[in-house]
Amino acid sequence: MKLADLIDDRPEAGIFRVSRAIFTDARVFEAEMRTIFEGGWVFLGLESQAPGPHDFFTTHAGRVPILVQRDETGALGGFVNSCPHKGARIALVRQGHARQHICPYHSWSFDSAGRNKAVKWKRAGCYSDAFLQDDQGLARLPAFGSYRGFVFGSLSANVPTLDEYLGEARKLLDLVADQSDDGLELVPGQVTFTYAANWKLQLENCSDAYHFTSAHPSYIRVLERRQQEMSADVVASVWENSDYWKEETQGIGGGSFSFENGHVLNWGVFGVTPAIPLYERAAELADRFGPAKRDWMFNMRNLTIFPNLQVAENASSQLRIIRPIAPDRTEMQTWCIAPKGESAQARRQRIRQYEDFFNPTGMATPDDTIAYENCQRGFAGKVAPWLQGYARGMTASVPGGNRFSDKIDLHPARSVLADSQLCDETLYHSYYRAWAQRMAGEFGA
Amino acid sequence: MSADVLTPAAAAALLYREALLLDSSRFSDWLDLFTPDVEYWMPAWRDEVSTTQDPDRELSLIYYRGRRNLEDRVMRLTSGLSIASSPLPRVVHQISNVVVLESGAGAGTVNAVFVCHRFDPRMGRTDCFFGRYDYQLVLEAGDWKIARKKITLLNDTIPTVVDINSI
Repeated sequence: MKLADLIDDRPEAGIFRVSRAIFTDARVFEAEMRTIFEGGWVFLGLESQAPGPHDFFTTHAGRVPILVQRDETGALGGFVNSCPHKGARIALVRQGHARQHICPYHSWSFDSAGRNKAVKWKRAGCYSDAFLQDDQGLARLPAFGSYRGFVFGSLSANVPTLDEYLGEARKLLDLVADQSDDGLELVPGQVTFTYAANWKLQLENCSDAYHFTSAHPSYIRVLERRQQEMSADVVASVWENSDYWKEETQGIGGGSFSFENGHVLNWGVFGVTPAIPLYERAAELADRFGPAKRDWMFNMRNLTIFPNLQVAENASSQLRIIRPIAPDRTEMQTWCIAPKGESAQARRQRIRQYEDFFNPTGMATPDDTIAYENCQRGFAGKVAPWLQGYARGMTASVPGGNRFSDKIDLHPARSVLADSQLCDETLYHSYYRAWAQRMAGEFGA
Repeated sequence: MSADVLTPAAAAALLYREALLLDSSRFSDWLDLFTPDVEYWMPAWRDEVSTTQDPDRELSLIYYRGRRNLEDRVMRLTSGLSIASSPLPRVVHQISNVVVLESGAGAGTVNAVFVCHRFDPRMGRTDCFFGRYDYQLVLEAGDWKIARKKITLLNDTIPTVVDINSI
């Protein structure tokens, strides 16, 4: 298998195609785990998941269980959540507080800085000098850091700095983090779901403006009914107050930005409306950051930090971690993300909008995930292996930014300005160019 | 025993009827079981051992106040426009351990457990959901109605979708 069989990227010929094999092939999946999820920066969680000394949370980098914890000084550290003795996981819950972790198998213990505190019955153990001179602490992540409360780690030391990796996309994380002086928090209540399809379907769908009116007509019909009634008894949604996604809407309503290293944003104009829970701070945020940045905080924004973090601010605000399990199986960990200190009323509004739209028990997400499963079934057909879903916007994509990105001094690698029907697909190119770069060593050109 | 006291038999009859209506996709009859201001709540899990407690400050899997919102869910489910809902999965609810905890004049609280088996004909996949029900029932014009239903879903890693007909 060669890279050219997987991605057909010929800008000069106006061609960008992706082979169905990248979603189904076990060798591709194995290579993705090695080079992308276990060989580079991945998102681990929010600092606020471990707020104080000795607090911790657990997650994964690819298939590797990870422990993120604060030591007694409050410094965050990232470790492989595996006892050096026999390999057992030492932290077994998603989140907690522990001065020490004691391995449940043979009672080796570790402090919150990852140092080994005791090897059970060490003196009686007749250990060799070589063993005694070895380090029995937890393995530290070779690269670890955070930006504005977003915590990242890498199982490989051979990575750019986190600032370099995130690049201009940092300014999009700022738009989330700056919504409160106190930072961000995850609303209690994590929702986990799985789907029987490849992880990259979730990667793409977040950036996919083209599917909304096709996959979600049942939800749109609910919105229309609510809009007609204007009843106080129904869950209010920001979509009802926005026209940018409607096919009859004229003019520039949004677009997309692509960044180095596979990060992308698609966005639409929502306007500063009371349908958005942040509205209570609209004036304050304009004073603090200027109206342009404030307006950007109110825009519909779907941000992907490649490969596994998505922050969707549309119907409400969602933070997602994509966790690939197998070529045809993915686990999604999802939370409602919110600015700390918002009013009780705004928080309630945010939560209600979230549940209705984002939950796998809600009225929109299941129509996406079932579509992924239908795609995965369809990918078995390799008679015509090249998928054609990467072509919209090809003649609209331009290098650099535009007047909208200029307003917040944002400098994307490429941008597209779109009316409601353009629905750019070239932003996926950024995913797959970063993907191809990372996978180049695994497959011959 | 006065007629406005909730008996175990009356409670079980209502819960079984609800299960039958869901299993046979008779959703408008199902909606008729609820009071107009019903609280319909399936909390999320806060951690490994506890569910969220305050729907205004914490996330729920589903939270609605008002039957009107359940009508939206039914409309979507039966619209033919939701690819996640058509064809409708085949479901069977098994309700047991029905216990009347309190019963006063025209009102009562009930606990029960459920298992719902769901077959998705499109994917050829069977899933099973199980958990607990907490009900508040009220007597309206001679019929017991559901004023509150709390569903505690114990296996909350959701396999693609869970809708109102599989809990």
